[in-house]
Amino acid sequence: MAGDDDTRKGKAEAGAPRRLDRREVLKGLATAPALGLFGYAWQQQRRYEQARLESTVAPAAPGRVQQIDVALLGAGAQGQVLTDAMLRIPGLRFRAVCDIWVEYNQKRVVNILRKFKHEVNAYVDYREMLDKEKELDAVVIATPDFWHAQHTVDCLKAGKHVYCEKEMSNTLEGARRMIAAARETGKLLQIGHQRRSNPRYLHCYEKLLGEAKLLGRIVTVNGQWNRAVTPDLGSPDRYAIPEARLKQHGFKNMHQFRNWRWYRGLGGGPIVDLGSHQIDIYNWFLRANPSRVMASGGLLYQDPQTHEWYDTVMVVYDYDTPTGPVKAYYQTQTTNGSQGYFENFMGDQGTLLISESELNYAGRLYRDPNAPAWDTWIQRGYVTAPKIQEVREQGDSGAIADVRESVSPDEHKVPVVLRDPYHQPHLQNFFDAVRGKAKPNCPPEIGYECAVTVLKVNEAIEAKQPLSFKPEDFEV
Amino acid sequence: MYPVQSWTDVPGPIETAGAHRGSEVDVGLEIDTPRDAGCVLRFSHEAMATVFEVYAVHPDERYASQAAHAAFDLADRLEGQLSRFIPNSDIARINRLAAGECTRVGPATLECLLIARHVFDLTGGAFDVSIGTGLPLLDLDPDGFVVRAAEDGVQIDLGGIGKGYAVDLMAERLEEWGVTTALVHGGFSSVLALDAPAGSEGWPLTFSDPGGASRVLSHLSVRQAALGASGLRKGDHIVDPRTGAPGRERLAAWVVVRRPEQAGATPSTVATPRAAAVADALTTAFMILGPEEIGRLWQRNPQFEAWILPLPAAGPKGGTGLLHFGGAAG
Repeated sequence: MAGDDDTRKGKAEAGAPRRLDRREVLKGLATAPALGLFGYAWQQQRRYEQARLESTVAPAAPGRVQQIDVALLGAGAQGQVLTDAMLRIPGLRFRAVCDIWVEYNQKRVVNILRKFKHEVNAYVDYREMLDKEKELDAVVIATPDFWHAQHTVDCLKAGKHVYCEKEMSNTLEGARRMIAAARETGKLLQIGHQRRSNPRYLHCYEKLLGEAKLLGRIVTVNGQWNRAVTPDLGSPDRYAIPEARLKQHGFKNMHQFRNWRWYRGLGGGPIVDLGSHQIDIYNWFLRANPSRVMASGGLLYQDPQTHEWYDTVMVVYDYDTPTGPVKAYYQTQTTNGSQGYFENFMGDQGTLLISESELNYAGRLYRDPNAPAWDTWIQRGYVTAPKIQEVREQGDSGAIADVRESVSPDEHKVPVVLRDPYHQPHLQNFFDAVRGKAKPNCPPEIGYECAVTVLKVNEAIEAKQPLSFKPEDFEV
Repeated sequence: MYPVQSWTDVPGPIETAGAHRGSEVDVGLEIDTPRDAGCVLRFSHEAMATVFEVYAVHPDERYASQAAHAAFDLADRLEGQLSRFIPNSDIARINRLAAGECTRVGPATLECLLIARHVFDLTGGAFDVSIGTGLPLLDLDPDGFVVRAAEDGVQIDLGGIGKGYAVDLMAERLEEWGVTTALVHGGFSSVLALDAPAGSEGWPLTFSDPGGASRVLSHLSVRQAALGASGLRKGDHIVDPRTGAPGRERLAAWVVVRRPEQAGATPSTVATPRAAAVADALTTAFMILGPEEIGRLWQRNPQFEAWILPLPAAGPKGGTGLLHFGGAAG
């Protein structure tokens, strides 16, 4: 068995001349200075950090990397987050910023880019931008969801590669048009499910679940994104967008412009805004799309005058995975931020609790006490050694147990840490793909599968009964 | 010897309650309720391991609340860049640089480090965000937004300046929204007052003996100025970054830095647009510097006003006194 070979190899590499008992091995590993960062994970982390380092040591050194001319379409909160990440990626030259909020967000982003010595032109009309900015290689789109399809299609048809924020569209029809345009033009389209490029998630997918199968058979999943109450987004009075410009771009008024996520026809509510990121991970890690969904949701708290979508949603998906059936729960609510956001995968041999956050739930693993030992994977650095309680010598007393204070179950960590802003690796992957040096981690076909999975939730809430997916629903 | 000096008697022995870890604690800085408290709106938010608050007088409560939350959102973003505890923050990346390595940082991080270096120079290293690990070993390139480490092992902790910097930027965000009758504070140790409520000269603040918060040492009325505080509670100690030895003389320090007048004012060494960041940093330095050093610093930079509370043993005979530097009242 491969596992046995791996075990022997692992021990030989560790240079252990004799068989250590597990407690000694763990004790040794736990006290090694580079805790858990051996073998593969060490190399992966090191490679990731080395690549980062090389790129910042010589930012934009001529000739080192092919320069990419880029424009930002949508300079709101998310556009600003993406800009912040892109400013740390070498070889990008910002040429243009387009946003209809000239008075505030457009000006803010242009000012930041000029500080970084990017001479950018500012536009209200993206078509004018595409007409005038002939050198553009790529456009990064962070506009409201209901604009994604048209913006993406027009940029692709203008010959630009596109990075488009999730949800790729608020309608499946729009999402299909985006895929068709990408195929027709041969230009790249990456959808902004940024966890797909996060080194910790990649490690979990490839190594912990794919190779080591640490959780055994995954049977259930749960996850959440809970947010505390906040007032609706406002805007400074003096920087209001003229009504004509708002209407021209599909917004009734400034309130709707700022809070489009809550409006039917513009966004999809919290299940799409928040849930989509994590439900995409369900599909990815389970290596399947769901077969059925049941959901309950409602507008329990927010003002119905200004909130058309559900503020509280609870969902159960059924999956038929290659290893058996799975039930996956997800909830999002906007009245209490208790425990924030995470995804929790539960198998018959262990649990993986993970989150994009580097601060909370950044990747913990719990082994079922009856599951096979993880020593091999600890030695390889796939997971950290567990916290070891004080080891007491039992000597040769012949006793089967030293009776003492209770021992905590093993808790391991995923030894891969993101050192950059959250969206940077996914953007880097996109620009690497533009240079022909990588494959996009989230092509539109994957974005589409997620859109199908998530948009069905709102339908299921209205239907008040479970809805089924057919395999062909996910195909374009 | 000091340009201005006033003494306020603090009666009785210093009482202390509980140990408080860390060198930067929230000491005895309170915001008095203005007389017409009914019209002061108050909004709170947790960030940077403390509670930030916005006090505002505004006719539209919903609008003021949205403005306050725009400011809180900014504080959260700053924490994501400035906290050494967040592994993918700018500061965490700086703290992992080996000799010769560099990293690109955001404008906020760079500005915060530049102010920190400025106050480091101003105070002869008594304020040191590297806590003796070598702030001068970091090369800050303001054109490329690149930070390079000349040697291994430089460790940055913006705990003595980050809250103040956040308060500065939050106040600017409120001004963008036209919410100008307002006060912002981070954990009561960094306060920035904008315009005062109608009918008052300023926002009423007090500062108190950190050993017993009921003993009010001074009342202030503050507008268009930042007030920072540092202090020790029982069991605390503060390390002099210049020597690595614990500082032994100071119980608390407060600093007022006025915001520069409107655009066109000549920038000076202390009066930067980031008054709360500077006040925050100076209070930390004034926990270490001797009264003569603070006096000399004031003579060169009379834009600030400061009070220090020596430990009883280090204070003048006849009891613990509050030493005051600067200010019209003297």
